[in-house]
Amino acid sequence: MTPTAIATSAELSDFLRENERVHVQGNGSKTALHSANGAALADLKALSGVLEYEPSEYTITIGAGTPVSHVSAALAEKGQYLPFDPLLADRATIGGTVAANLSGSRRFRYGGIRDFILGARVVDGLGRAFRVGGKVVKNAAGFDLSKFLVGSLGQYAIMTELTFKVFPDAPRFRSLRLDYPTLPDLLAAISFINQSVFELDALDFAPAAKGWSLMARLAGSSATLPPRIERFSQTLRRESAPSDIVELDETATLWDPLAELTGGTVVKVVLPPRQIPEFDRSLGETRRRYSIGGNLAWLATADLAALHTSLRQMGLPGLCLLGAVESAPIGAPLENELAARVKSVLDPLAKLV
Amino acid sequence: MNHPFLQALETIYPPDRLLTRDVELLPYESDGLTAFQSKPGAVVLPIDEAEIIATVRLCHEHTVPFLARGSGTSLSGGSLPIPDGLVIALNRLNRIKRIDPQQRIAVVEPGVINLHITEAAQPYNLYYAPDPSSQSICTIGGNIAFNSGGAHCLKYGMTSNHVLGMKVVLADGAVTQFGSESIEGVGIGPDLIGLFVGSEGLFGIALEITLRLMPQPELYRTVLAAYNDLGAAGDAVSLVVASGLLPGAIEIMDRLAIKAAEASVKAGYPDAEALLIVELEGEALQVEAEFAQLQDLIQTSGAFEMRVARSEEERARIWKGRKGAFSAVGRLSPDFIVQDGVVPRGRLGEALMAIDKLKTKYGLDVANVFHAGDGNLHPLILYDGREAGALERAEALAGEILALCVSLGGSITGEHGIGMEKRDYLPTMFSEEEIDIMQALRRAIDPNEIANRGKMFPGGDAPALKQQGLHPLERQGVISRE
Ligand SMILES: Cc1cc2nc3c(=O)[nH]c(=O)nc-3n(C[C@H](O)[C@H](O)[C@H](O)COP(=O)(O)OP(=O)(O)OC[C@H]3O[C@@H](n4cnc5c(N)ncnc54)[C@H](O)[C@@H]3O)c2cc1C
Repeated sequence: MTPTAIATSAELSDFLRENERVHVQGNGSKTALHSANGAALADLKALSGVLEYEPSEYTITIGAGTPVSHVSAALAEKGQYLPFDPLLADRATIGGTVAANLSGSRRFRYGGIRDFILGARVVDGLGRAFRVGGKVVKNAAGFDLSKFLVGSLGQYAIMTELTFKVFPDAPRFRSLRLDYPTLPDLLAAISFINQSVFELDALDFAPAAKGWSLMARLAGSSATLPPRIERFSQTLRRESAPSDIVELDETATLWDPLAELTGGTVVKVVLPPRQIPEFDRSLGETRRRYSIGGNLAWLATADLAALHTSLRQMGLPGLCLLGAVESAPIGAPLENELAARVKSVLDPLAKLV
Repeated sequence: MNHPFLQALETIYPPDRLLTRDVELLPYESDGLTAFQSKPGAVVLPIDEAEIIATVRLCHEHTVPFLARGSGTSLSGGSLPIPDGLVIALNRLNRIKRIDPQQRIAVVEPGVINLHITEAAQPYNLYYAPDPSSQSICTIGGNIAFNSGGAHCLKYGMTSNHVLGMKVVLADGAVTQFGSESIEGVGIGPDLIGLFVGSEGLFGIALEITLRLMPQPELYRTVLAAYNDLGAAGDAVSLVVASGLLPGAIEIMDRLAIKAAEASVKAGYPDAEALLIVELEGEALQVEAEFAQLQDLIQTSGAFEMRVARSEEERARIWKGRKGAFSAVGRLSPDFIVQDGVVPRGRLGEALMAIDKLKTKYGLDVANVFHAGDGNLHPLILYDGREAGALERAEALAGEILALCVSLGGSITGEHGIGMEKRDYLPTMFSEEEIDIMQALRRAIDPNEIANRGKMFPGGDAPALKQQGLHPLERQGVISRE
């Protein structure tokens, strides 16, 4: 179905009133999320632009269809960034990033999308346009539906405008790779880091040709980074006995957790760190990268059905992002009583799919 | 309270945990907003989750309104009992079920005291970050209801940002669970934690909560700067923020607050129109470098005096005055009202000047102690309730401050919630349709509107106003406020 371009919130309201079933896309970068057969397709790319940006307030308001790259560029001009580190930053729109709840590796430092969203303008399944949340960094008035929309996959209300809290970014970064012979050795190192004084910008790991590699990144000023990196590296050498420590070049893809997950269906799995050993054993040859200190896994799988079954057995939810699939959510079911109640209010006709 | 309902309660609770006599109900008649009082029909003291669930289901069946109560320190009348309704007091559900240092999480019952979690996590070099100044007494359940914050919430956020998972009983008795032990929390599907936290007890009762713990910072560096003018202190905040530093706390106190703090805890503060406290935290090497930068900034900000904490002891002294300031101001006056409005940081100076004018207009004193870093004001309006018309003037002044915050683009509450106190001001922030949608949501979860009935939404009968003063526990010096 050809998408209808939507340029204003009012047009979106009309579109929702006129159609039986509606599916929304930003740039369509998460291919696995757009399999809504037969639904009228709304394209929100035109709801684009930075609407308000107050660097001194640490807040920014943007159209939901704005490319993430534009937002990041506007912030970078003032030395600021989106601390949740949007994933697929070269392709995604900000609205799609929120709806799918996709944070990158740097989310490790300060938190995810839910921790930085302050408010939104939305259109619900009945075509009603309204505001949720606020525009200041602190606000306790009313129910916080803006956080609810994080991860809501366009099924409750469509965001047309978003307000985020932002932070100053660090001027410099340095990254290390620490190699361990086995996964338990690497997990012991993470355990040590978790209770240490080191404040890492990102902490990911993945199986390597031989053994496992932990990737750690520090952020700071050019004056303090060298001694901090030195101290981190020495401490880890002493406390966790890695077989090797190598400094990595800060290339554009080093901290893109999906960079090497080409081919197969790309899946996000939310994972309590303690379940990693069991989970990892179930994966076989599946390519993977664990992110945010092992609280999240990104996979590229050739056998989605098997993954679905084993996730379900372990009680873990997964979300397919890239690839052609019938249903994006897999593994442990998402159905929830509270979510159903919200649906009955915001989209009683179940138009939004 | 009707007989069949009480009889049904008796099947759940032994007599010593079902309170119905006037003298037993008295301690539950008000919360931290002592101006309001009302008498519940009964109070129950459940000891486990199953009892809470059974009680909520009973309330739903009999359409009896209920209030979940933690420690009753709400400053907005949020834990004021519903007249003739049921109070479900959660203090006995105070077990920390699990501290998992590897995953950096704590699993707790709702009646656990905020500070007890940090105490339990300390042996692992971890702590629970949100630090309301009532933290030695308030419960996690109450914190969840209001998304409570504290002086150190600038960097890592308020309560909501630290909840990873929860099990709740909705107001109609349905039990549901969401989130996980991953720091991604819910991660896939709508963020139900974000919705439940801050719902002021209107959705149901949190039964079990999984919290994120943070590693203790290696180093704190704290500076206290004194100014001849409140505006200059406000401008210094903008300067710090513009510099790219990300402090853990930025707080301001005005002359009246300083005076009160001096009189009560003798912090040894300089004699000034305004004091600014800025604290950095983190890895030692980084913090030392940033602290040098911070001191340079403060030098150029027009401060006439700057003190740097050189030891943990000096740091504690700087904070002692700040943390005790509110209760101290309270002692200066027989009665007071605390407001909790938020303004954009850049408009702090404007807001403070406007409040100053309102003082003159109403002939009342207002002290200011606030979370300057996130624009969260805490003006304390002093009055004498024995004076005819004084309470009404104080309330009118409070109302003007709230309107001011909204007109400057802010919010009527940063962390204390709407509760009973500010429910008539909700329409200053949200349109009729927006409030209708929130109410529809409430009814979808609670068709009988029994959970904390009468709070948050405008309308309804207001209970009788008595006086405004210190929380009984503050009078005893057990807690103090920011
Ligand atoms: C001296 C003083 C200082 C304070 N300082 C601060 C501060 O710095 N920052 C700040 O944010 N607040 C502060 N407060 C306000 C207050 O302490 C907080 O709002 C606190 O979170 C309330 O906790 P409580 O256990 O007393 O809750 P209560 O007052 O008992 O209840 C508050 C609300 O929570 C609901 N509730 C309780 N338990 C549950 C549960 N399990 N599930 C669902 N809902 C529940 C109740 O129904 C009620 O609506 C201060 C108060 C005082 C008196």
